[in-house]
Amino acid sequence: MKKLIITFVLVLMPTLFFAQSMFDKFEDEDEIVSILVNKKMFELMSEVKADSGDESTKQLFSLIKRLDNLKVFTTENAKFKAEMKKTVDAYLKKYPLEELMRISEGGQTIKIYVKTGATSSEVKELLMFINGGDGDDTVLMSLTGTFDLKEISFLTDYMKIPGGDKLKKASGKK
Amino acid sequence: MLTLMLSLVSCDSGPSLQKYFVEKSNSKDFLAFDLGTSIIKSDKLNLSPKETKALDAVKKLNILIFKNGNENSQLYTAEAKNVKGLLKTGGYEELMRFGSGKSGGSISMLGENDDIDEFVVYLHQNGDSFGVIRVLGDDMTPGDVFTVVQLIQKSGLDIAQLQPALDAMNINNKEG
Repeated sequence: MKKLIITFVLVLMPTLFFAQSMFDKFEDEDEIVSILVNKKMFELMSEVKADSGDESTKQLFSLIKRLDNLKVFTTENAKFKAEMKKTVDAYLKKYPLEELMRISEGGQTIKIYVKTGATSSEVKELLMFINGGDGDDTVLMSLTGTFDLKEISFLTDYMKIPGGDKLKKASGKK
Repeated sequence: MLTLMLSLVSCDSGPSLQKYFVEKSNSKDFLAFDLGTSIIKSDKLNLSPKETKALDAVKKLNILIFKNGNENSQLYTAEAKNVKGLLKTGGYEELMRFGSGKSGGSISMLGENDDIDEFVVYLHQNGDSFGVIRVLGDDMTPGDVFTVVQLIQKSGLDIAQLQPALDAMNINNKEG
C-alpha cells in the first residue's frame, strides 16, 4: 500500500510541479529570446523597502510576493513560431486552461488562457500566446502564482512585457 | 558523525566559484580584475544617499572575463559549463536568466534575503566569450544589489546584455 502511494506521488509530481517545463526546450535556441524570472527574484523584489507609500506601489509589491515563475519566449523565426504554436496546443491539451480572451488584430492573433484557483477570480496560471503572422514576433508568456486578473496590468506596465497591453484589455473583461 | 558534518561545513572543501576566479586569473584566456567601490564612488557621478548606502554595503566586485573562444570554441563551452556548474554546486540561488542560445546571462545570489553575501551576474555573448561579476558585500539588501548593478552600468563598465536585467530591475528604482 505504501509503495502504491509513493509511486502515485512520484507520477503526479511532474504534473504538479513541472508543467511549465514543456517550454524549457526553447531556452537555448539562438532564434528565441527568453526571460525567466524565478520565485526567489519575486521574493527579493517584494522585500525592497518601498520608500513611497502610494497605493499602486503597495499593490504592486503585494502582487509580486504572490508570483512564482514568469517565462517569456519571443521569436521572429518562422520555424520556431510554428513550433511554439504546436507546443502551446499540446500544452493546452494536457493542462486544460480556460480561454479568457481571443483577439485578432492586424494579422496577429492573441490568446489568453487562465487556470483559476479557489475562486473564479483567483488565477493560478496565466498563459498568453501571441501568434505574430508575418513580420511580427510570436510571444509566449507563462506566469504562475496566486493573483487576480485585475492585478496583471500592474505587472505588465512595469516590466514592459511584450503584449502587456493585451493583458490589460483582458483583465478588464473578467 | 559530528566530525564528518563539521568538515562538510568548512569552507575549504571542494571547488568553488571563488577558487575558480583565483585559478583563472593566471590564465591567458581570461582577464581578471577586482573593482573596489571607491572607483565608482569617487567619480563625477553624483551619488544619491541610497546609492552611497548601497556602495557601503558592497565590499568589492570580482570580475572575470573569458575572451578566447573564437579561437577555441571547445574551451569556451567547457569553461562556460564550469561556471554554471559552480553556481549550482555553490548553493547559489538563481534569480533570473535571459537571452537566447547565442547571448544572454543569469543573475544568482548567495545568502539570506536581507543579508546577501554575494551576487553573481553571468553574461555570455556570441557563443565565444563570457563574463562573471561577483558582487561581494556585507548585509546587502536586495535594493542595494539592484542599485549597485545599475551603478556598474552608469559608471561605464560596459558588458553588453546587462540591459534586460536592468529593465527588469527598474521596477524597484523607477523613481530614481
